[in-house]
Amino acid sequence: MSKTKIDRRNFLKVLGLGSAGAALAGCDMPSYVTSDEGKENIYSYLAPEEYVIPGIGVWYASTCQQCPASCGVHGRVREGRVLKLEGNPDASVNKGKICQMGQAAIQGHFHPERIENPLINGQKATWDEALALVAKKSGGAAWLTGAMSGHQRVLIDAHRTAGGNARHYAVEVVNARPWEDASLATLGDANPNLHIDKARAVLAVGADFLGTWGNPVKSMRDYGNFRSAPRGVLMSIEPAMSMTGANSDIWVTARPGSEAAVLMGVGHILTTKHGVSVADMPSAALAFADMTPTKVLGLSDVKEEQLAKIADTLMANSPSLILANANHDTAKVAQVLNMMLGNVGQTLTPSAAITAEALLPVTGSSKDLVEFAMDAKAGKISSVFISGTNPVFLAPSKLDMAGALAKVGFKVAIADFHDETTTACDVVLPASSALEAWGTHVPVDGSDAGEVYIQQPLMENVHANTRGLGDILLAVAKGAGVDGLAEFEDYYGYLRTAVSALIGSDLEGDWNSILQKGKAVTAVNHSNFNAGGDVALGFSEPAAKAGTLTLITSARQGLFDGRHANLPWLQEAPDQISKAVWDSWAEIHPKTAAKIGAKDGDYITITSANGSITTRVFIYKGIHQDAISVPMGRGHTNYGLYAKNGVNPLSLLDASSGDRQTTELLNSGVSVTVKPTGDNRHLVRLMDVDSQHGRKLAATITADQFDRNQGGA
Amino acid sequence: MPADRPQRKTFPWIRAFIGTAVVGALIVVGAQIFEQQLHPVKPGGTPPPRVPNADFPTDTFDGKDVTQPINYSHKLHAGDLGINCLYCHTYARRSKVAGIPPTAKCMGCHTVVGTEKPEIQKLTAMWSKGQSPAWKKVNDVPDFVHFSHERHLQRFLLNNKDMNIKDSPDVCAMCHGDMNTVGVAKKMKPLTMGFCVTCHEKNKGPADCTRCHK
Amino acid sequence: MPSLLGNVFKGWSDYSKGIEQGGNQKYEHMFSMSIDLDKCTGCNACSTACYAENNLAWVGEYKFASRQSMHWMRIERYFDEPDVGSSDPESLDRGASFLPMMCQQCNAAPCEPVCPVAATYHTVDALNAQVYNRCIGSRYCANNCPFRVRYFNFYDNAPTAWPAPMDQGLNPDLSVRSKGVMEKCTFCIQRIRGANETAKREGRELKDGDIVTACQQTCPTSAIVFGDLLDKTSEISKIWKRQQVKLGTYKQEKENKDLRGYRIFEELNIEPKVLYLERVREV
Repeated sequence: MSKTKIDRRNFLKVLGLGSAGAALAGCDMPSYVTSDEGKENIYSYLAPEEYVIPGIGVWYASTCQQCPASCGVHGRVREGRVLKLEGNPDASVNKGKICQMGQAAIQGHFHPERIENPLINGQKATWDEALALVAKKSGGAAWLTGAMSGHQRVLIDAHRTAGGNARHYAVEVVNARPWEDASLATLGDANPNLHIDKARAVLAVGADFLGTWGNPVKSMRDYGNFRSAPRGVLMSIEPAMSMTGANSDIWVTARPGSEAAVLMGVGHILTTKHGVSVADMPSAALAFADMTPTKVLGLSDVKEEQLAKIADTLMANSPSLILANANHDTAKVAQVLNMMLGNVGQTLTPSAAITAEALLPVTGSSKDLVEFAMDAKAGKISSVFISGTNPVFLAPSKLDMAGALAKVGFKVAIADFHDETTTACDVVLPASSALEAWGTHVPVDGSDAGEVYIQQPLMENVHANTRGLGDILLAVAKGAGVDGLAEFEDYYGYLRTAVSALIGSDLEGDWNSILQKGKAVTAVNHSNFNAGGDVALGFSEPAAKAGTLTLITSARQGLFDGRHANLPWLQEAPDQISKAVWDSWAEIHPKTAAKIGAKDGDYITITSANGSITTRVFIYKGIHQDAISVPMGRGHTNYGLYAKNGVNPLSLLDASSGDRQTTELLNSGVSVTVKPTGDNRHLVRLMDVDSQHGRKLAATITADQFDRNQGGA
Repeated sequence: MPADRPQRKTFPWIRAFIGTAVVGALIVVGAQIFEQQLHPVKPGGTPPPRVPNADFPTDTFDGKDVTQPINYSHKLHAGDLGINCLYCHTYARRSKVAGIPPTAKCMGCHTVVGTEKPEIQKLTAMWSKGQSPAWKKVNDVPDFVHFSHERHLQRFLLNNKDMNIKDSPDVCAMCHGDMNTVGVAKKMKPLTMGFCVTCHEKNKGPADCTRCHK
Repeated sequence: MPSLLGNVFKGWSDYSKGIEQGGNQKYEHMFSMSIDLDKCTGCNACSTACYAENNLAWVGEYKFASRQSMHWMRIERYFDEPDVGSSDPESLDRGASFLPMMCQQCNAAPCEPVCPVAATYHTVDALNAQVYNRCIGSRYCANNCPFRVRYFNFYDNAPTAWPAPMDQGLNPDLSVRSKGVMEKCTFCIQRIRGANETAKREGRELKDGDIVTACQQTCPTSAIVFGDLLDKTSEISKIWKRQQVKLGTYKQEKENKDLRGYRIFEELNIEPKVLYLERVREV
C-alpha cells in the first residue's frame, strides 16, 4: 500500500517545483536562430530598366484572350514574372474589370502541361524542320480558327490570298450569330451598340449577356449602372436558367425551341392590349396578330398572364432593350419589337467600326464548324491550319470530325495545349500563351471608341521554344511567299510598323503611349441604321412535343465552351447555377425527376439518336419540365490531368444538314430519353442547400420599397 | 475465509507530476543549450555603431561561410574602397528587398577595372552570356516573415534628422553587422524574432503581428 | 512593468465604453466592406481573383467534397426568398439570390478569444488577423465562426496546387500556408500594407481609394465597396451612414424602413463589418 499522501504541504511543494521548471523553460525570448544561410538562391538582374525595382510590381497593359471578347488587362509583373491580371481602366470595353476566366489566365500561362516543342507526327522537331515542312505541304491551306481580329487576321488573310483564296472557317460554338444576322437583316447593322445602362427594362431571350453572350464584362459593368437608381427591370425567357436568368426580376421558362413564339406572344399583347403600332411592317403585324396567347401556351407552356406581365413591364419602363440569341427567328422578333417600342436610337445605336476594315473581327459560328467538316469530307480541303479552336471536341459525334480531318491531307495545329484536335494533326507548332506574345485585337462591341487593343508580352517566354501566334503566322506567311514581309524579323517589328501606319505616326513616344494605355485609338466609320422595311417573322415548331424531353446545352462563364477545362481554378469555381464543381451534371425539374424516377446524385443515361451520355442529375425548379440541360465544358478525352471528368453534351447535338444558315448548334436541342442507371454518388457542390431556412442571409426587398427609398446605397 | 484482496495501488500522482515537470524542463532547457551550441548567439559583442535616435540589440552571431558563385569581397569594396552600401544595394531605400545589384552595376567599373583577376573574368563571362549569377541568400529569414528594408531605412536613415546618408553603413550594420570586415557575406546577427522584437520595443516600432507576418 | 490589476481595470473601462467610441482598442482604421446584392450577378470573378491574389490552393474534387477547400470568398446561391416568398411554386420566377460570403472581420469576433495561442486577434486596423506561423491548428476558431469562413489546411496542398511552373505565379507578398494552419479572408492585408508603404513613401496619409481589395477590383458590376469607416469622407462610411447601420448594436433603429443595408447574423452580437444591401425584386 502506498504511503504517499497528498497533503497540502506536499502539494504546494510539488506545484512550486513544476512551475519553476516551466518558468525556467520559458524564461528566454524566442532565440532559435534559423540556419537558412546558403539554402535559397537569389538571382540578380543583369541590366534592368530603371523603373524595375525588385519587390515592387510593374504593371504592363495587354489584352486578355480567354474568350472572344478581348478585354484590356493590366498584368502585374514582379521579378520578371507576371503574377496577376486586372482589368485595364483605359479599355472602354471592360473599364478596369475582368471576369474569372481572365483571372485564371495566369494558370494557363504557367501550366505544367503546355506544349514546349514543335512536333512532327508526334515526334519532337525543331522549328526549322517544322516550318520547312509546313511551307512545303500547306499550299492553298484553309484556316480553321476561333473568332479572330487585328493584325493576326491580316496575316491569315494574306496567307490565304497568296495561296489561292482558301476559306477561313471561324468556329465559335458560343456566339451571337442569330443576333448578328437578325440585326443585319432588320437594322442593317450586325453589331449595334447596346446601352444596357440606359435601359429601364431589359428582356433577354436566350441571350446570357451577363454570362457568355457578346461582351459579358462590358454588359456586367453596364448592368451595375442599370441596377442603380432609377432601377432597371431585368426579364428572361429561356428553357433553363442561365446566369442572366438567375438575376432576373421576372424569369419565364419556355419549352426549348419555342422562344420565338413566346416573344411573338409578347408582341401580340403589345399590339392588342397596348396598341403599339407595327404600321410599317405588315408581315410582322400579321404574325403578331396570329400568335394568340392560347397558341403560345400550346407551343411553349407560357401563360397569358406571364406574357402580359412582360409586355406591361416593357411599356411601363422605357426605353427598354430586347436581346435575343435563342435562334434566328427569335432574334428577328426581338429587333422588330425594339423598333416598335422606340428602343432603336436609344438603347440600340448604330455601331461605329474602325475604318481599318482588314482588322475587323471575324466572329465565329457553329455553321463554319459544320461546313468545314462537310467540305473536308467532300475532299475540298487539301490542307488546313487550326488555331484557337478544338473542332474535334466541339463537333457533334454524328458530324464525324475525326473522319473529316483524316480526309485532309496536311494538318497543322498552332496550340499551347494538347487537346483532341492537336493529336489529329501532322504538325503541332507550340504557341506562346497570350501573356507572352504580341498581338492586336478589335473588340466586338459596336461602340464608337475606335479602339484597337494591344496585346504585349508580360514576361519572357516560360518555355524557351514556344512562339507567339503572330510570330508563327508571320513565319508561315513568309514561308508561303507572301510579299512585303521579308523586312520583319519578328511579329513585334511587323506590328510596330503596322500600328504606326494605323495611327499615322511612327514616333517612339506615340508607340510607348499606346503600350502604356494598351490600346491605339483610330478613326471610325459612323453609320446609320438602315431599317430594311417589312420583316417577315416566322417560328419553327419546337422539335420537342409536349411531354418529350429535349436535351439542351449552354456555356457557362468559367469553362466556357470547354477551352478552360484544363484550368483547376475554373474547374473548382462552382458553377453559378448548380454550384457543382469538377464534374458534369444534368439539370432537370423535380416533376421530370419524379417521372423518370431519379433522385439527387443518381446517374442517368441520356440517349439520343446521335449517341448517349451518362451523368448525375441536379434537380431544381429553374428549368422547363420538358427540358434536360447539360452545360457544356467537360467531357474532354485528351486535355490533360485536370480535365478528366464529365461528359460532353455537344457530342449529342444535331449537326443537321438543313438550313445551317439559321441553325446554331447551341440553340438546337435534340430529343432524348432518360433512364437512371442505378448508380448514385453525391454530386459535389459548394453547398447542398438551396434554401436559406428562414434566415436573413441573402435578403430581398420589393421594388416598391426600393423606389420609395430612391435607390438606397 | 477468502484471502485478503490485494490493495489497489493508487497512482503515484506526485511522482508522475514531478517526473514530468523535471523531464519537461530538461528537454526544453537542454534543447536551448544544444541549439545555442550549434548556433551560438553572443549577447553584446561589437561596440554599437553610431546611429542617433536608435537603440538596438547588439547580439551577434557567427554565421556559416557560404560559397558564392563569385568570390566578392565586401572588405575590399565597402571597406577599403569605401563604396556606400546604397550604391549597390540601391533598392533598399525604395523597396522591401535591398537587392543584389544587377550585374550591369558591377560591369560599370569592371569592364575596365581589375579585368585580369580570375573572379572578374568569371563575372564578365557570365555577363556576356547573359547569365545571372546564382547567389546564395545569407541573411535569410523564413518565408512567412515579410521584412521591409524601405521602412527601416526611412526610420533610421532617411527620416532620421541627425543621420547623414553617407553614414548608411552604420544603419545597415545594425542587422548585417560590420560588412567592412568580411570578404564574402556572412550572417553576423541572429535575425531571430527576439532580435527584431527587442529592437521594435526599444525604438517604438509597430507591435502588430500582421505588420510582418501576413 | 505596469501592474496586472491596473491593466485589468483600465482595459475594462475601455471595453465598456462600447465599440463605436473606439472601444477596447484605439483603432487607427476600421476597414469594412459593403456588397450590393442587387448588383451582384453571382459570376464568381471575385472568388477566382482571390485565389490568384492570395495564393489559395485548389484541392480537387475529393477534398472539395470533404469540405476541405480553400475558397476564402465564396458565392452562395439560394433559390428561396424568405422575406418576400415566390409566387410560382413550380418555377423560380424571380431568379436566384447570390451571396458573396467571406470573413466578416467581426469587431467582436467569436473566433478571437478561443485561440489557445492568440494566433488570431483584432488589429488596430480593426481587421481580424490570422498569423499563420503562430497557429497550432486547434481549429477552435473555425468551430466558433458562425459564417463558416475559416479554412483549415488539412493537407500540404502546395505540391498539387502549384506544380512547376505554376508556382511561378504565386504572390510573393503573402505567405503560402502549409499543413496545419488556419486561413481566411484578410481583406487583402498585403494590399493594405502595400498602400501603407506607398502613402509613407509619398509622405501622406492613406486616403479613400488607396486600398482596393482583389475582389473589389475585379467585380464587373462594382457591387463591392471597401474602405475605412473611420474616414468620414470615404465612400464606405457614407454607405453605412446612408443605410443607417451602426456598429456597436444589433438593434438597428432606422428612420427609413425601406433602407436595404443589413448585416448577417448581427443578432449574435459579433459586430460583422460587412454590410449587405438587399437584393430587389418586383413582387
